[in-house]
Amino acid sequence: MAFYVSRLSLGLELRRLGCKTMRCSGVDCRSSSSTSTTLAPRSLADDGKTDKLGRREKKNLMMSESVDKPDLNLRFKYPEMFPEPFMIWRNPVKEKLERKDMLARRNCISIPEFYVGSVLRVNLSNIHQPDKVSSFVGICIERKETGLRASITLRNVIDNLGVEIKLELYDPRLLKIEVLRLERRLDPHLRYLRDAPPEYSTFPLDMKPDINRSDEVPLNRIKVKLNPRPWTENWHKIEYKGIDESIDDLITNKWKARRELLRKPWEKYDLMKTYRATLPEEEMEEILTEIKDDVEEHDRKHSRRQS
Amino acid sequence: MRLNKPTPLRPLIHYAELSKLVSRLKIPVHWHVKKLRRGDVPGPEGRLLKLRASVTALFKYERIEMDYYPADEARGYAERLISEAVRNGPQCPETMEMADWWLEEKQLVHKLFKVLVPRYQNYPTSYTNFYRAPFWYFSDGFQPQLNEEYPDKEINETIPAFRTVSYPKGLLELKGNPYPPIFPSKVTNPRSIQNVLLSSAKDFYKSKEGGSERLSNAESGRGIEFVPNEPKSDENLIESSK
Amino acid sequence: MPLRQSFHHITRAGRWVFSKPKNEVCSRNFSNSIPVLNSALRRSSLFDAEKEKQRQAVGRIEKIEVDVVSDFGNELLIMNKDLSTPYDCTKHISKFVGQTAVVALVDSNQPWDMHRPLSEACSLQFLKTTDKNPWIPNNVFWRSCSFMLGAVVTEAFRDDISVILHSFPSPNIQSGSFVLDAYIGLESWIPAPEELRQLSKEMIKLSERELPFERLSVTQEVAEEMFSDNPYKINHISKIFGNHNEVVIYRVGNHVDISRGPMMSHTGLIGRCTIASTHYLKEDQLYRFQGVALPKGHKLNHYAYGILEKRAMLLNSHMIPSEASLSYEPTPEYATEAKEVSN
Repeated sequence: MAFYVSRLSLGLELRRLGCKTMRCSGVDCRSSSSTSTTLAPRSLADDGKTDKLGRREKKNLMMSESVDKPDLNLRFKYPEMFPEPFMIWRNPVKEKLERKDMLARRNCISIPEFYVGSVLRVNLSNIHQPDKVSSFVGICIERKETGLRASITLRNVIDNLGVEIKLELYDPRLLKIEVLRLERRLDPHLRYLRDAPPEYSTFPLDMKPDINRSDEVPLNRIKVKLNPRPWTENWHKIEYKGIDESIDDLITNKWKARRELLRKPWEKYDLMKTYRATLPEEEMEEILTEIKDDVEEHDRKHSRRQS
Repeated sequence: MRLNKPTPLRPLIHYAELSKLVSRLKIPVHWHVKKLRRGDVPGPEGRLLKLRASVTALFKYERIEMDYYPADEARGYAERLISEAVRNGPQCPETMEMADWWLEEKQLVHKLFKVLVPRYQNYPTSYTNFYRAPFWYFSDGFQPQLNEEYPDKEINETIPAFRTVSYPKGLLELKGNPYPPIFPSKVTNPRSIQNVLLSSAKDFYKSKEGGSERLSNAESGRGIEFVPNEPKSDENLIESSK
Repeated sequence: MPLRQSFHHITRAGRWVFSKPKNEVCSRNFSNSIPVLNSALRRSSLFDAEKEKQRQAVGRIEKIEVDVVSDFGNELLIMNKDLSTPYDCTKHISKFVGQTAVVALVDSNQPWDMHRPLSEACSLQFLKTTDKNPWIPNNVFWRSCSFMLGAVVTEAFRDDISVILHSFPSPNIQSGSFVLDAYIGLESWIPAPEELRQLSKEMIKLSERELPFERLSVTQEVAEEMFSDNPYKINHISKIFGNHNEVVIYRVGNHVDISRGPMMSHTGLIGRCTIASTHYLKEDQLYRFQGVALPKGHKLNHYAYGILEKRAMLLNSHMIPSEASLSYEPTPEYATEAKEVSN
């Protein structure tokens, strides 16, 4: 039984609550308040205070001066709180309700700060185990999805067999998430570990947590040397910073030539493409303002419990 | 029956590129990216080069008239460029590189940072206006322009690809440009002729003479009897006018 | 012939059928319209001759500096003395200004017709009905509407009905209608709604032709020769010459009439127009035609315009000839303009 609210059940939920489901068309409806239902940003110059050239004094309409702006660095700590900027599926009401549910779950268990490349131990409830708990240790190779369906993939090599478990962070069967080694890596995912020697993915199941003294999350600049082909994915096509240069020795000249053709040097100049793939700062600030007090409280509560 | 547009491919990202910070655009951003007519260079690169020409022209002339959908696309890029420049300024190497690539004439890079950024520093609204322009003008004789390569109208009509079609046109302008406004200001002028006529009509019908006026059907010949409202009592008047 | 063409526009729709045959006043059979045509053409040809004569009298062309003042800055133009008109100045600026300007303002205080030659160096401004203070262009517009009504009325009636224009009083927008007084050879005529609508249509058709208002100031003899068939006008001319040296006359198409002016640039500046009603002035034995119009580009919803139309139906008692002495004395606002005419 899924705890997360699917799109279909959301509709039922909302109808039960008596509010209409809001649908966004294929137009950006990022508006000033997350519950606003306008399809396009309302012109803010309608109150007649513009001069004839359209100039106005900038007013901080979203936040008053007394309220501190949230620290935008928090966005890396809670990435699943931010919706995917795929406009057609966005729904401000759905997102707000989801965040509410996520905060409620975070109140129950501690979902700590971790990144792709961190080593986690996860305790799941399993009725078939004698102590009803099954535990898994692995390196987080992926963080997918947003909202209540945010998931992670943990990888470990057990008895010479690579094992990957995909878990949803807000799954109610998750009993505990413990970060054994908190570190970052150079790439957004580490799926290439599947085609790397097992040393890179092996972690003892009884691993003790590393004590991290520094405030900053360390960046592991390790360059992985891949196994010879065949690979599960074409690792040579994307410039992975975490893969060693020796990958060139593993691919043919024909593949190298193809790779050259695939390069898109103009893509970094495509301003609208990057805009459509990002959440604007204002929206991130709104979301963080909404959640930051609650997550701070939860962190305090869970750290108190641990100590 | 109108077919729905196919849902565009969901971009292969795990979640939003959180590392990048952008300012919100104050224009409607369409999810469906419009394809543009093929130029010399094909593909997305060619598309960007075409848009680059439009954006350069917009920054140069501050008001341009072109085909509607390419103008709509160019608008987004122009706004993004200005937004990046306003946010980061000329010191940021990425912004400077972006401006350098997008603006083909280097004097426009100076214009962006020295003229446009101070102008748009505190704008709460979008930096551009975008209107629908006429397909063709009366001065062209109510006809769309012929294809310049094939000025002979007969050839134009026989070859479908070069037919004298008219595409919707758009007018894109940077706000705060020095030209006269496209639309006159909507301020009502009490001295304009219709307001003078209406206010004098109001005064007339409020007066004793007007209040008793009745149009008889026979005299007017129009068969309409106009009964003006009786003037209201004094209590609704403001103090000074009593 | 230009007059015939306009009538063809009317007949294209077919013959009008009125409910009461004796009220059939609107002209449809044009083979009998020669007397009216002759009279109008005669005046028009005299106008042409006088205009050509005055043009020849200019002699050596001298240059004058005209400073065009506008919101976007000043523009200094070198124009021809006694030949160049403010309309010619607009050709150096833009077509839009030439098409939309109602009247020009010389030296910031003197209204000047757009097609009237400039005689000395001056500063020029183009006035529109959409300006902030459109008092001058509004009154110019109102006066021009009365003039155009005269043009329409002379041609609209059947030829067995005599139409002698009397005059039109100075514009009074507050009264709610522009006015024309004329003698019509009909007894107790009440116009049918179709007839009034036809008159309005004629006004619009005149507007569509975008004819310029040509101005001339002529001597008494020329004026009397032109209006020899109109006793009212002869009377007016003699009264005018009591105070001034010359008579100012205007021409639109083939219609020539006396007016102190100024008139608007061209007939195309009328947008909406309704000839609302006709009233019989017993003392003068004149019919008072009343109408209301809005300049081109001025928007008004149909209900509000309907209110203006209904008010225009009521008798406009502004300057009824028998009550007011038509002495051609200018009102104080036009004092400066009248001075120019008398010079």
